[in-house]
Amino acid sequence: MSPVDRVHALLFVANAPATTTELARALALTEGQVEQALEILEARLAEGGPVQLLRIAGGHQLGTRPEYAESVAAFLRPQHSKLSKTLLEVLAVVAYRQPITIAEIDQVRGVQSDYGLRQLLERRLVQEKGRKPVPGRPVLYGTTREFLHQFGLDNLNELPEAEGARPALPANLFDVLEQRS
Amino acid sequence: MNRLSPVVAPRLELAEKKRWLTGLGVVAPPPLHIQTPLFEGSLASLFACVRDRKLELTDVPLYPICEAYFQYLLQSQIDTLDEAAAALAALAFLLERKAWSLLPTPEAEPEMEDELSSLPSTVHEFGDAIQALRLWHDERSRIHFRTSEGLPQGYELPFTLEDVSILDLARAFERLMRRANPEPASNTSRPRRSLSEVMGQLIARLKAEPAPLHHIVPLPIARSEAVYWFLALLELIRLAQVRVHRLDDELLFARPD
Repeated sequence: MSPVDRVHALLFVANAPATTTELARALALTEGQVEQALEILEARLAEGGPVQLLRIAGGHQLGTRPEYAESVAAFLRPQHSKLSKTLLEVLAVVAYRQPITIAEIDQVRGVQSDYGLRQLLERRLVQEKGRKPVPGRPVLYGTTREFLHQFGLDNLNELPEAEGARPALPANLFDVLEQRS
Repeated sequence: MNRLSPVVAPRLELAEKKRWLTGLGVVAPPPLHIQTPLFEGSLASLFACVRDRKLELTDVPLYPICEAYFQYLLQSQIDTLDEAAAALAALAFLLERKAWSLLPTPEAEPEMEDELSSLPSTVHEFGDAIQALRLWHDERSRIHFRTSEGLPQGYELPFTLEDVSILDLARAFERLMRRANPEPASNTSRPRRSLSEVMGQLIARLKAEPAPLHHIVPLPIARSEAVYWFLALLELIRLAQVRVHRLDDELLFARPD
């Protein structure tokens, strides 16, 4: 059994993205060997067939090619729900400005965001990331691995550059002091 | 004309006979009586109504209620700071909820196929990002994985507690906190305790015979200590080192079999 086939076998049974470390540990290989096997497997699957190897949500996972979407959907009958404009707005603000408090989201959007944020929490696209060290210690929110998975991203650095979306100024006094120190 | 007449009623008259536990913690706020055209009752009841979304706070002025709180502070003999703190927490919650409710509310929108061209100016800088996210979400929905249920939950207990719910554990914690004493002022700079140390003490005190938490924890106990003991208990439950039974409304804890 070659390392490529063994990695392929693990990815076939995995129901979530597997990291290089997890694969290396399970197969008693080095991470370098696993990376090499993944590259070979990716190239092999790219030659043809309905399955592709994806780098997604910080790991690797086998998925069907988009060309087979209709056939698979007819079989699985997945319940995909599109995100409304409100949810996408809140999600974009959280994704680019995280960690962020709900008051800061409101400030950016100019309207209440508690409903949208609650929906995103229920969909597990957003989660609590701690407390901000300011009076009241408000909850900080950030995106989840599920967010990366649902949007086909490997990590947050793959988010598109958005002019002005990232804060140009420190968010609070603590950040100012931290930058000065 | 000010139609509102919140008053500070005599505490004994208005004190609720049952010192029910609230979302604020284990101490109910003092019986400040509030009388408005929309609501009449105690501060605790107002808090509960707003929390449970049974009352629209927009039409309830908070200024007189805050005034009533200040009068209560000035006039009454405060036994403990906990009551005053509970009232302050309730007022802070009400003020926050009111501030939220005064923000403009976005109009109801169609869930699907809405145009991004109508983004408010405050989020226009996210326009491209939102468009990209929408596109990627659509593209991603055409790729299927072994499971269509998404990623598994981040944290799951490795076993079931059968008929014991997290609310039962919360009630056990509340009962312990009711028996705990306020923190002595001299203890504010005490050294930090190790949770594993408390877990060790808890294991030593657990018996084969199931017992309620307040029989296991050494009393009298300060509140911060009670928190440590409860956290230690939760961790031991997670590690399957404690058996939990429910007897009527009481949780009983014992050594594992």
